[in-house]
Formats: sequence, C-alpha cells, structure tokens
Amino acid sequence: MNSARRLLQTQYFRCLAAAPNYRASVQHVVFAHPPRRTSLSQLQWPRSFHGSPGCSQNRPVTTAVGQGGEKKEKSLVTYDELFEQVARDAKSKATFNRVVDIFSKRDVRRRGHVEFIYAALKKMPEFGVERDIAVYNKLLDVFPKEVLVARNFIQRMFNHYPRQQECGVQVLEQMENYGIMPNVETKVLLVQIFGDKSHPVRKYQRLMYWFPKFKHANPFPVPRDLPQDPVDLARLSLGRIANDLDSTTTVYQMPSTDLSETGEEISLPHIVGTQSPDQRSLLAKHNPSRPVFVEGPLPLWLRGTCVYYYVLRADPPPPEEKVEEPCDPELFGPGQSIFYPLVVDLALDRDLGDDYSFDVDDVEEGVVYAMCMTGQGDQATLGRWISGLQETNPILGQIPTLFRLESGPRELQGASETPRGPDIEAEPRTMEHEPFPEEEHQHSQGMKQ
Amino acid sequence: SSGQLRRLAAPHVGRSEKVTSRIQLQRRFRTDCRSLAYAKDLFLGKVNKAEVFPYPEIGNEELEEINQLVAPVEKFFAEDVDSKLIDHEATIPSETLKGLKELGLFGIQIPEEYGGLGLSNTMYARLGEIFCLDGSIAVTLAAHQAIGLKGILMLGTEEQKTKYLPRLATGEHIAAFCLTEPGSGSDAASIQTRATLTEDGKHYLLNGSKFWISNGGLAEIMTVFARTEVVDKDGQKKDKITAFIVERAFGGVTSGKPEDKLGIRGSNTCEVTFEDTKVPVENVIGEVGGGFKVAMNILNSGRFSMGSASAGIIKTLIGLAAEYAGTRKQFNRRLSEFGMIQDKFALMAQNAFVMESMAYLTAGMMDRPGLPDCSVEAAMVKVFSSEGLWICVSEALQVLGGLGYTKNFPYERYLRDSRILLIFEGTNEILRMYIALTGMQYAGRILTGKIKEMKKGNVGVVFELLGKKLRDSVVKTVDLGLTGNNGVVHPSLTESAKKFEENVVFFGSTVENLLYRYGKTIVDEQLVLKRVADVLINLYAMTAVLSRASRSISIGLRNHDHEVLLANNFCSEAYFKNNYLMTQLQKNSPENNDANIKKIAMDILEKRAYICSHPLDRTF
Repeated sequence: MNSARRLLQTQYFRCLAAAPNYRASVQHVVFAHPPRRTSLSQLQWPRSFHGSPGCSQNRPVTTAVGQGGEKKEKSLVTYDELFEQVARDAKSKATFNRVVDIFSKRDVRRRGHVEFIYAALKKMPEFGVERDIAVYNKLLDVFPKEVLVARNFIQRMFNHYPRQQECGVQVLEQMENYGIMPNVETKVLLVQIFGDKSHPVRKYQRLMYWFPKFKHANPFPVPRDLPQDPVDLARLSLGRIANDLDSTTTVYQMPSTDLSETGEEISLPHIVGTQSPDQRSLLAKHNPSRPVFVEGPLPLWLRGTCVYYYVLRADPPPPEEKVEEPCDPELFGPGQSIFYPLVVDLALDRDLGDDYSFDVDDVEEGVVYAMCMTGQGDQATLGRWISGLQETNPILGQIPTLFRLESGPRELQGASETPRGPDIEAEPRTMEHEPFPEEEHQHSQGMKQ
Repeated sequence: SSGQLRRLAAPHVGRSEKVTSRIQLQRRFRTDCRSLAYAKDLFLGKVNKAEVFPYPEIGNEELEEINQLVAPVEKFFAEDVDSKLIDHEATIPSETLKGLKELGLFGIQIPEEYGGLGLSNTMYARLGEIFCLDGSIAVTLAAHQAIGLKGILMLGTEEQKTKYLPRLATGEHIAAFCLTEPGSGSDAASIQTRATLTEDGKHYLLNGSKFWISNGGLAEIMTVFARTEVVDKDGQKKDKITAFIVERAFGGVTSGKPEDKLGIRGSNTCEVTFEDTKVPVENVIGEVGGGFKVAMNILNSGRFSMGSASAGIIKTLIGLAAEYAGTRKQFNRRLSEFGMIQDKFALMAQNAFVMESMAYLTAGMMDRPGLPDCSVEAAMVKVFSSEGLWICVSEALQVLGGLGYTKNFPYERYLRDSRILLIFEGTNEILRMYIALTGMQYAGRILTGKIKEMKKGNVGVVFELLGKKLRDSVVKTVDLGLTGNNGVVHPSLTESAKKFEENVVFFGSTVENLLYRYGKTIVDEQLVLKRVADVLINLYAMTAVLSRASRSISIGLRNHDHEVLLANNFCSEAYFKNNYLMTQLQKNSPENNDANIKKIAMDILEKRAYICSHPLDRTF
C-alpha cells in the first residue's frame, strides 16, 4: 500500500513536472527527478479512464498533450527502429516474436514496455500477425506480472496504473477490431498482470460476452479468405446472390490463353453463370416478341473485394399480357376427391381480424432469368454466355436479346488484384463477417487516433 | 323401448345379390339423385339421424350366403396361402392365384350375368376382412376390382361390359388402374399421357407412361386416363381427361421392372408405358373429356373396404398376440397381467371395433338405392382405419418385443404391409383436405348469407347469435334427439350420445366461426383443416359405434355388453380429443401452436436441413 501510494505520488509529480505552466513553481521537483522520455509520453492521458479528482485537478492536460505527443512519437520511433532492424530481411511471425523476445530480455524491469507494446500493436499488420492470438498473448506477456495488481479497494477504485491498464485495454481493443477471440491464456495473463476487476479484465469479460453472441449473427457468412481462382470466386458470389438451392451454376468458359495464327495472344475470359429451374420455366413462358436485356455490370461486395455481375432480365410484362391461369373447376373445384379442392366456391372473404398480411407497395419489376460473372464484360463475351444459356433455354433463340452494358469497371477486381496493403490493413473490424469495408475504414481510423 | 327395438331392427337395407346387380344396371340412368349428407350435415351442427340409425343390416339369406362364401375363403387363406413365401419371393405363386380365381374372388362385385359373384359393397367388405390377411393378395385383388375394373362396371356401356367383364370376373384377365404419372403423384391434373384421334376418327393413339401401377405387369385390361383434345361449348379447343379401356393386346404397351417395395412385396407394381397404342373409340369409358369424373367415382367407391380389411388384420393379430401374452411369463407373472400390456389389447380391440363399425356403416349406406354420395364417409373410413392399423400392428409387435421384430413372426410383415394404407388411394393428407373442404364448402353455401349479415352488423342476426350463446351458456345440455323418449340410441349409451351431441353442436359453431374468420381463404389453412377433418372423423366414428352398439344391445347379439363398453370408452376418449381440437381452433387459443410450427418448418425447409448447432459445438 505504501509503495503504491508513493508510486502514485511520483506520478503526480511527473505530471506536474512535465507541465510547462507549473514548471517554474515545482522546479525543485524537476531537478530531483529529471523527466525521462518515457514519463513525458505518460502525459498522453487516458481518454476513457477517470482518474481521481485530485489527479485531474493537478493535471494540465491541454498543453501537455501537444508536447507529450511529439515526444511520444520520438519514443515510438526508437521501438519502431527496433522492429525495422530485426525485420530487415523478412517480416514474419518469427521475426516479430524475436523483437518481443529481445525487448523482454533486455531489461528485467521491462522499462518502457507500454511504449513498446503500442509500437508493436501498430506494427502487427505489417508483420501479418494481426490475427494471431498467440502473438497478442506474447505481447501481453511483456507486461510485468503482479506489480500492477491493485492491492486494496481504494487502488481498485482509483484507476491503478492507468497507463498500463489503458495499454492492456488497447491490446484487447485491437484484438476486438480484428475479430480475434481472447483465450484462456489471455485471461490468465490479464489477471496476473492487472488483477481481478481491473479495466483490462473487465474489457476481456465484455469481449467474451459479446463476441460469442455475434459470432454467427450473419446468416450468410463470407469466408475470410476468398478463393483466388476467379472461377471459384464467381461461383461463390453467384451462390450468394442466387440464394436458391435448386439453382445450378455452370461454367460456360474456362479462362485460357491461346496463341492465334498471327502470333497474337488471345485470352479467353471465364464465364460463369447461374440459373434456377424456376427461372428456366419463367424464361420458357416469356413472350418471344418482347426483348430480354443483358444488364450490368452490377457490383457485389465480398468483404474488401468488389466483384461485378451481369443479369439477363426482362421488363415487367404489360398488364394486358398477364394471364391468370384459370383454375379448372372440374379438376380443382369443390368436391373433387382425387385430390383436395384447391378452391372453395364461397362469397366470403377473410375476416379483417384474421388478416395479418401487410399492406406493401409492390413495385413491379421484371423477372431476372439468369446471372453471370465474367472476366471481361464486353458484348462478345456476354454473347457467348447467352448462347451457352440457349442450350438449356431453347426459347432464347427466338427472343431478341439487347445488351445494355454500362461503362463501369469491366475488369474483375479479383481478390488477387485488390491491394491489401496498409490502407486496408485494419480492414475487418470486430466480427468475422463485415460486409462494408468503408465502415471498416472509419472504425480503424477511429481506433488509431 | 319395444318400439325402439322394432325401429332398430326393422329396415333391412341389404338385398339379395340379384337386386344389387339390377341396381348397378340402373345406376347408369341416374334416375334417383338423392344425395346423402350425413357427414356434411355435421358441419352445420346437425345430426341426420335417419341416415345412420339404425345400423344397416343384411337379410338372412344374404348372411347365409356370405357365410357360405366366407368359410372356403378362410380355409384357403389358412391352408394354401404362404404369406411369408410371397413376401420373400416378391411374387404370388400361380397356384395361389389360380385358387383365388376358382373361389371367384376376382369378380366379387361383378354381376352374376357377367360371371361374377354379384355381391354388394357390404359383402365385399366382409370378404375383404379375409383376403386382407395377405397384403400382397389384398392389393392385387383391390387393384383388379376395386379400381381396375370399376370403371367398366360402373360407367361402362353394355357392349363394354359383355366384352370385358366375363373374362375379368374369372380372373382370366387381370385389370389395372393407370392414373398416376411420373410428374403427377397426387396431382392428377398434370397428366401428360395423351390420346390423339386418328384421321379416320376410329381410334385413339395413346402415348405416355404411368407410374406405380398395381398389377401393371400382370394386367391384360387397363383403365387408362389420358389427355384428349375436346371442343367445349364455346368452340374452343381444350385438353380434358378421358378414361379408356386399354387391352395389352392393342400393342405398344410395355411394363417396366417391378418396383422393390417395403411392404406388399408380392403385389406387382411397375411402370407402364404406352407407345402409339391404338385404342378404338368404343373403348372410351363415359364421355370423351369426362374422365375426371370417372376417376373420382372409381376412387371414391373403393376406399370404404379398407376399414373392414384393417379390422380383419387387427382381429387376427389380437388372437396371435393374446396367445403369446397369455403364455409368456415374466417376473413370475403372465404378460397378460401387466397393465401396459392390457392397455395395448384394449387399444387394439377398440380400434378394430371402431373400424368395423365405420366400414360396415359406410358400406351399408353405399348399398342403399339411389346414388348415395358417400365419398366423404369413405375417405374418413380410409383415414381412420389406415392410421389405426399402423398403430395397432406396431403395438401388437411390441407385445412380443424382440420376437415380434424377427421374421419368424408375421408382425413385421403386417407392419410393412400396413404402411402402404396411409399412402395409396389418396394419401391421408389429401383425404383430410378433401374431407374438411367438402364439408366447409357445403356449410359455407348455407351459412354465407348469415355470416354476411353478421359482418354487416345486422342487429337482428347479432342478437340472435348472442341469445343463442347465452342460452348455450345457461343450458349446458344439448339435445339433438338421439336419446330420450324418441331416441335412437340405447339408454346404456346415453352418456356417450350426450357427449357426441355436445361435440356436434360445438363443431357446428366452430365451423361457423372458421367460415367467419377465413371465408374462402380457408383452403390455405391446412393446419386448421387438418383439425376440422380429425374432429369430423371422430364424430363419424362416434356415430358408427353408437349406432352399432345400440343395435347389438337391442337385438341381443353375443357379448353386446363388451361392445357397449368399447363404444362408451371410445366416445369418451374421442370427446376429449374433439374438445381439445376444437379449442385449438378457437381464435388466440393458447393451445394452438400453428404459428410456431410453421416458423420451425420454414426455417428448416429454407436450408433443407436440420439447422440447430450440435450440442457439443462451442463459440470460444
């Protein structure tokens, strides 16, 4: 208790010392404790924690932040350099772990561990370990054990070792942003480092409460690693749009490159299409005098990747062409017992009290008969798709087909082509299934500040 | 009560077989269009006593005759039919078939002038009790005469009858009924088989294939349903279904490999394909384009006999299982002393009793002069008896435990054989829809005006309704005249009759309420209709047992006290079931889980799989 109190006091003094307004008045203190770089960076005070009133009174936050931030950058740079040095040849999990080991072994007291952890967190995506729970645990292991544990209720009440606690929370938050579920080891570490009921342990408990609840919240999960092969990617995407278990996906053309007689390289793009039996029968009933349209490209986002697809559709039929197939009373009328009557000849409607249907404004839309994805959205390629469709839908031979292609991105932005560099580095926030990458950006930016 | 006894015993509905055949001849003229409406009237909360009381009887001569017929058939089935072999070999030996033909079992309902036995529906049901003892033979015989040749018998011309019936009656030719197609199971409207008139207008060319045709491989003569082009009265060409008599000898008829089935393995079920089969125009049954009515009439008339057949099987199994329960000892007590075993026997006896009562009541109704429309009743018999049989066979098997599961005993075979009853001649689901909707349609026609007035807020109608409700709540007892001084039910069944009456009245108001709530959209409320059908089936079963037990006790049949016991027991069970079902049918009833049921089913069917996570799965 006494030592803790002393630590707290020195902290106050350090704050005071760092604050220029007070520098003069407490100069003797400054001399007694020459401010180290590390202590300066402390001034970037926690946003989320409430210190004791006494603490906040004495802390000149406004001015200190600017200065301290600057210094902090400097301090981080040293650790950044550490990473750069070690990982000069390769950036991998092994090198990352080596850096952490080096830091841990350098000093028994682990001086500057908070800064080091912040720096490491920032470097994680670069080393490609941002989704590795073991690495997070290793990082938490950098914290000294037991010394940060609050020993009585007052310490527990007054935000004990706030910077360390905040740093611990930051580690958990980054895990949260990448959708990494903490494990038992994480918990043991946190309890060892910060003790029960500390902020990081609370954060851990909240994570463990919400993460499992949301894990399967998306009924249509997108796999984390999208297939690299454009044909497989197209299959996956079409399966997502056409959520019909009966629909069949056909590869009309595999991607290939040929050399023509003149020596020119002709590359044939892939064409993958999908059509369900229902769509086929609707197409069979299509009035051949009305055209069908090939439209596109239409975007589909799969995590950070955008793919484009094309549809074969028709305009909604004009009202005069809509023929209700009459119900043959001889076959389906009342009193038929080969099968039950499909209609009852009564002049009574459903009672209003039992009518639970919604009044929805129906917008008439044309029928979509088929969909496809291709590596090259020009008319020739799509024409090949239509002729492929014709094999199962002979009626397409009689229907005029119009191409209404927009000059959108013609190229498939496959997963391979998507830059997965630093700008999408912090891409998936929290859950595994986050459909909007834009949102992810915002989140990650918010986090980094 | 002597007057009551006289009334119960007096009308002899049955006739000698000569009369029957004459009536069958008359049927073509359709002079008498008296339509019977017992079941339908229940929808209005009415009991049409005259239709079901007293229980139908046959004359003494007829009884004697049927007993003379039954004895040799029973003997034949006991001695010459090896059901185990038939089941194992999946074919009926030709000697067995020959024996059946010699007994005349291939022409039970064909009039004597065409060489058949010329028996009535009631007597057909009686014989059915015996020949059902082998499922394969029963199905073969039923496919031959209950549906296969019924078309010719009921609606054929004189020429068709003289040409085909004699050889069918002797079993020289076997008949089959070809309706179902690959693309149309229960939905006969999607028939694709087509018959096109040849240029000379003398023949039809038949093309298409039919699935699951019982006797398809054996049949010489087939009733085939096909689409034909018909010019309707507006002068427009339309596709309509027509029934044809097709001989295998016409050519172009091929039958596929017999299906390998779970039960009724000895019966021949296969695909039949017609390829440019030339059918003369004289072979059209009924009118061109009127095939649908033909199919309906044939199927409706064939279902009632399943009740007596099921009862026949249960009666046999009761004998077999009781023998075992009486001799087998466990824990130093006979099986028959255990309550749970006794429960099974009571259940079997009661089911057999109810099925029998329903089957012979319906058969008796069908044998009445005129053209009684017993399709709803027959459907109810089929649904009740097929489901009851399935449970009873399973319970009989359970009495034997592991032994019953082996092939050393016939239980497993009966279990497999009886499963088909829930499926063929209209699945039970479809028949339930038919039962409920036919009644709803009937009641709806009558009640539409009243309900409309009520919806408009007509003060008079509303007050009348409120008054009725008030009266009902004050005077709990309902009197439909079954009991009391002029009653038709024996006093020892008074309580059951009261329960029945109460249920009927409740049912009437439930139906009215449903019509008020759903109107014509009731067609889409399958779960509601299922309950309506179940209540109606229970009500009809109650009627049948009340009527039969009253007759038995009044004329002093042997063990009539046992019948009364069964009847009372069944009625009180059915009373509770009905009350529960009808409570479920009330609006906002907490007993009704339909919304949940639908949601569960939709969740699963959307994914086409069981979607719960495994109990051992974890998220962290």
